[in-house]
Amino acid sequence: MFFHIVLERNMQLHPRHFGRSLRENIVSKLMKDVEGTCSGRHGFVVAITGIENIGKGLIRDGTGFVTFPVKYQCVVFRPFKGEILEAVVTMVNKLIPDDMEFQSGDMPNYTTSDGSVKIQKDSEVRLKIIGTRVDATEIFCIGTIKDDFLGVINDPAAA
Amino acid sequence: MFTMPQKKGVKSSLKSASGKEGTLKGKDDNSIKSKKGRKVQFDTGAGEAHLNFSSKSGGKGDTPTTFPKAGGGQAGKGDKTFSSGKSSVPKTPQPLELRIENGLCQLPTIYVELPENVKCLMACEAVDILQVIQEQMVLLSKDPTIKASLAFDRGLQYAKRGSHYTNPQSVRKVLETLTKYGVTDGEMCIIADVCPETADEVFALVPSLKAKLTLLVWEMRIWTVPVVKTCMDDSHLHPFEICTTFSCHLSCAAGTEGAM
Repeated sequence: MFFHIVLERNMQLHPRHFGRSLRENIVSKLMKDVEGTCSGRHGFVVAITGIENIGKGLIRDGTGFVTFPVKYQCVVFRPFKGEILEAVVTMVNKLIPDDMEFQSGDMPNYTTSDGSVKIQKDSEVRLKIIGTRVDATEIFCIGTIKDDFLGVINDPAAA
Repeated sequence: MFTMPQKKGVKSSLKSASGKEGTLKGKDDNSIKSKKGRKVQFDTGAGEAHLNFSSKSGGKGDTPTTFPKAGGGQAGKGDKTFSSGKSSVPKTPQPLELRIENGLCQLPTIYVELPENVKCLMACEAVDILQVIQEQMVLLSKDPTIKASLAFDRGLQYAKRGSHYTNPQSVRKVLETLTKYGVTDGEMCIIADVCPETADEVFALVPSLKAKLTLLVWEMRIWTVPVVKTCMDDSHLHPFEICTTFSCHLSCAAGTEGAM
């Protein structure tokens, strides 16, 4: 799910960025540093939507760098256990569910015994996340379609 | 690895979802199975997480007295029990309602970890926000150092795909009527993103609503009586179902209205 959240970060800035455009420099550095990053706590930072506050800078001992505490609003995306998501199939491998059969070939897919449901690349599936694992840069999820109202919602083969 | 709650005769097709009776039956089956030693711990841990969510999210309708029993539950604890795979079904016999409550989804885990200043966004709201930023980026594109990150592009693409409405304000307005019955912000967003067609669908996909169903049924009765009288002449429906159906109906209407 997407969230709008206020986060805080200490930005270290080289003195050459000081001057009239200090604020712009801090913001652009913040965007470069933060957007696209991923943390287990907050998920993927999709975009910074605003700056709440830039605090007073603190000169670092021994260097000319100054640290500014910056409070910013951003949109994050984080999947969580129990969440219902709509997802697109990008790859079909051989982890076979009980009631489906794996069909290999040019377009590998899963098909139910009666052939009514087919899952292949580009199918849209509604699933429920049952587990997540957070890496330094990625979040991995395990989802299930084995529940009521879950499963294929758009079959490219049928279209 | 993960154990899933097993269900009989459930097809993995959205459209072929069982009817109301079927769904209810399924739940009963589950509770019976759990007595026989089926692995249901996965869900139980979730229930604990949910409690934290309720207290942390500070939803307007949240009554602190709702789940006093497991108020100190930790999400991590739930995870631990879950991953261990040794599912111990609670020995003490519990009424069906409590079982349902234990079967809550893990939805709230995130809220335990996230600070308070978080607002859940529906996909359509996310699209609105991200599109404004995208427009600004086009203006700033003369500056080669400013580039949309991969996460931004993918986030926007995903949000667009998941967005079912064109007027997020009206959707939120409609769904906010449910907050006074304890429906939290996160649940509201899931309901919106899922774009349910029936009340059964809502209960199946957001099982945490079931607990509220049992605990807030009296309050809801008060509210739903006029709705029942005016909107639906079907005494077989449960008040909460009517309430949800009514809201779903309204949300669909809002979406359509927005699209025009």
